[in-house]
Amino acid sequence: MSKEIVKEEAPSSSSGVVPAESRPFGSLRGVQWRINLGILPPSSSIDDLRRVTADFRRRYAGLRRQLLVDPHVPKDGATNSLDLVMDNPLSQNPDSTWSQYFRNAELEKMVNQDLSRLYPEHESYFQTPGCQGMLRRILLLWCLRHPDCGYRQGMHELLAPLLYVLHVDVERLLEVRKLYEDLFIDKFDGFSFEENGVAYNFDFKKFADSVEDEIESQGNSKKVMSLYELDPELQAVVLLSDAYGAEGELGIVLSEKFMEHDAYCMFDALMIGAHGSVAMADFFASSPAAESQSGVPPVIEASAALYHLLSIVNSSLHSHLVELGVEPQYFALRWLRVLFGREFSLQDLLVVWDKIFSEDNSPLDEISDDGEHFSFKLLVSRRGTLIAAMAVSMILYLRSSLLATETATSCLQRLLNFPESINLKKLIAKAESLQTLALDSNISSLPSTFVGAYNCSKSPINAHNVSSDLVCPKTTLNLVPDSYWEEKWRVLHKAEEQRKNSSEKKTSSGKKKWSERVKFRLSRTESEPLPAIREKCKLEHTLSVRRSLLEDLSKQLGLEEDVETGACVEVSNSVDHHPAEVHRDGQNCANKGSICTVEDRCDDGSGAVVSEENSSIFSEPPSPPSSVINDHDHENDTEKSSVASNLSADDNYVHQRSIPEDLPQPVSLPPEDVYLNSPHENGSSGKMVSAMKEKRQLSGKFQWLHKFRGSIVSEETSDKRGGMSEAANSPNHDSKRNTVDSFTAGASSNSHPTNKGDAMDQNMMDTLKHLGQAMLDHIQVVESVFQQDQGQGGSLDNLSKNIGKGQVTAITALKELRKISNLLSEM
Amino acid sequence: MVLVLALGDLHIPHRAADLPPKFKSMLVPGKIQHIICTGNLCIKEVQDYLKTLCPDLHITRGEYDEDTRYPETKTLTIGQFKLGLCHGHQVIPWGDLDSLAMLQRQLDVDILVTGHTHQFTAYKHEAGVVINPGSATGAYSSITYDVNPSFVLMDIDGLRVVIYVYELIDGEVKVDKIDFKKTPATTHSAH
Repeated sequence: MSKEIVKEEAPSSSSGVVPAESRPFGSLRGVQWRINLGILPPSSSIDDLRRVTADFRRRYAGLRRQLLVDPHVPKDGATNSLDLVMDNPLSQNPDSTWSQYFRNAELEKMVNQDLSRLYPEHESYFQTPGCQGMLRRILLLWCLRHPDCGYRQGMHELLAPLLYVLHVDVERLLEVRKLYEDLFIDKFDGFSFEENGVAYNFDFKKFADSVEDEIESQGNSKKVMSLYELDPELQAVVLLSDAYGAEGELGIVLSEKFMEHDAYCMFDALMIGAHGSVAMADFFASSPAAESQSGVPPVIEASAALYHLLSIVNSSLHSHLVELGVEPQYFALRWLRVLFGREFSLQDLLVVWDKIFSEDNSPLDEISDDGEHFSFKLLVSRRGTLIAAMAVSMILYLRSSLLATETATSCLQRLLNFPESINLKKLIAKAESLQTLALDSNISSLPSTFVGAYNCSKSPINAHNVSSDLVCPKTTLNLVPDSYWEEKWRVLHKAEEQRKNSSEKKTSSGKKKWSERVKFRLSRTESEPLPAIREKCKLEHTLSVRRSLLEDLSKQLGLEEDVETGACVEVSNSVDHHPAEVHRDGQNCANKGSICTVEDRCDDGSGAVVSEENSSIFSEPPSPPSSVINDHDHENDTEKSSVASNLSADDNYVHQRSIPEDLPQPVSLPPEDVYLNSPHENGSSGKMVSAMKEKRQLSGKFQWLHKFRGSIVSEETSDKRGGMSEAANSPNHDSKRNTVDSFTAGASSNSHPTNKGDAMDQNMMDTLKHLGQAMLDHIQVVESVFQQDQGQGGSLDNLSKNIGKGQVTAITALKELRKISNLLSEM
Repeated sequence: MVLVLALGDLHIPHRAADLPPKFKSMLVPGKIQHIICTGNLCIKEVQDYLKTLCPDLHITRGEYDEDTRYPETKTLTIGQFKLGLCHGHQVIPWGDLDSLAMLQRQLDVDILVTGHTHQFTAYKHEAGVVINPGSATGAYSSITYDVNPSFVLMDIDGLRVVIYVYELIDGEVKVDKIDFKKTPATTHSAH
């Protein structure tokens, strides 16, 4: 209905916001919204408005007659020829009027359920039977008219404010009528008759009397002001209520009698969108739209649009939310479906809707079929972008409290309980500024990544599927007991601070962000650390040498349980053996700690001893050290065992050689120690035993990781491969990804110093360590994400399920790490 | 818009095994608001089945009912109408209109529903309607073996009642309709 009218009147408001001057009905929301929604023509001729209004009302009345089935009332006079067999109340025939009646009754019951709970705080209006009846009928008829949409919860909340504004308008009319009763004169045939009722103002009386009368009549006439002396607003009110204009009473634009009809038109226009890009009905659909690029329901896509906009505007908040696993549709579903009806109080909501409706709904750019320029459907029109911008500005409003949350549930709690008292103007102003931003950025955006994440999380992916692993890396991690990790963290933190002085500024920011997370992770100690954590710790902290060492370690582990156990034990043991500080328990994080401590020790100069020790043990470098680092990927393919260990040893050796003795590669040390100690089997601290247990777990994981790594190896660049192999070592796919990058970066950065040879600056080392630390932190962040996601799940079986969730997190962490690696490579 | 199902004389399990399948398929829960049963179910299982169709069930005692606690007669008000229920074996001659009218006046109801004859009848007179829904299973009666399964559905809407009669004739369901409007003065005429 509204579409036809829109075509006929050809609204010219394609330029966006209608300037204030041409909005004569500013205070009459009902009329203004009808114009904005495309029901009424934007032209200011009252007659036009009246005609259009009357048309719509007639249509609604017809619809009502047709669809509201009363089986008692015979259809169109053909009473006697009713086929009773078909048309009786118990008939199972779906075509009978009774079946329809029962179906309608069902629908009505559903609608009633929602209506009874509508706006309880404004009970005085919304819970009155008259209002409820109107709402019920409107919803019923709309749903009958659009059987494909059906009735969904939330539609009633969209409709209620529409009816309310009409009601407000009518009340305003009554007010004005009381004040300016004289103006509401009936201009039926062009004449206006004044109050005193005299058509001819000629006085037949005698002069004496006439003077009196004149005074009286003058007094009377003075009261009657001219219509045009009033505010334009009041003028509008009066004119719109004239009972004798075009279409007579049916055309009274502000009419109480026809509130239902008008509300239906507004609701229909809002839901269908009137050729615009934002059709609310889409948000209620549960299946993907026919022409959508992404195969997801429109509301999911729109939520993705929100996140897209948020990522442009404030990527830290965006990544935080993504990290926590807060999918946009969890809260955006409610926001979008009811157009923020649940987030604001009624009066605030009306202001917000004023803004939203005043935006034009027509698509701004062509959506080509080939999808090249396809962007989020929500963002294609001005109205859509304002809705998205509004949502983003609401999210930003809660920014500080969201950033402080640590779990998805608390995050959602805050998002879903939007505060009551807000500075609405600021919110709207921010939304408008974001809107322009959104409009600009919409063109080249692709919804695929978000959709991919959505689909990823929806469909289980084989854990061993390399590509999917790459995309959605995933591991299961156990948490480490707190106390242990507190200590570790303190150690780390000290080390970090030392390094921070020499670190580049760029990396430090990223690092700081992650270091907070690291704290969390470190604060959890584990009695039986998962290999992932262990690996992660190892990986993170070590530079490229370490990476290779771990790689080798994993190879070893893949080869032999015992060796693995030994190696792992050794790793942890090495940690144990090494510096006195914190780490007593051989754990992954212990490794991390050990690295720190090792590094610390290096700083202390005690590393030399160790390095010597190491070098002495690995006395048979089969391959030239220089090639070691670069050939990591090749080594992946080579047979493991001794070669691997030798290689790692070589790495260590190389590093040791390249590094002045008083600064042995701290990274290399622990792995070396690992291998070192394995033959010796002298672990001999209680931790060794516990480490053994972990080893068992680790080895299992390592094997899997090993396989994974093998598959990964074939992919991408060599560096990546190396990194990925590293990543493979950690059960956490996510961390893998990050580790890949981190180690790529580490590898490249580390290889530089090592390749350069002997002269290695202390500062360089510090910086590298610092960067390595940062990378490790990143990986740990990612890991923690998964930890949070998975809780205590430690089985490989869980991997596939969580792959999707990790993907987005992985990607963001990955980017961070890439930045770091770039920085490192520049050194 | 109240739908009231009136049926009776099923004589399950003695004279009939079950309702005809065509009838059973029509009787689905959720549509009917009240069920009034003239009697002779005869066993509790039938009562349970009827209860599943509608929780509001009214039964009067027929001479073969195994549950002796059902009342002889029952009256209830649905919408603007007063309904009376009785099995009918107490009213002699069985099925005689005048005697039934007497009972109707006694009970002071607009619609009297009785059974026992296993024949569908519906009499309309100025004071009201007397309905006999017949036997829903088509069980033989003391009078005759030739019985068509039948039952009655009343659609009470304000002051008007539409009576739908469902009969199973030669394996096909036949439906008929009777309209009755109650005049507001009718109820107070006798007082």
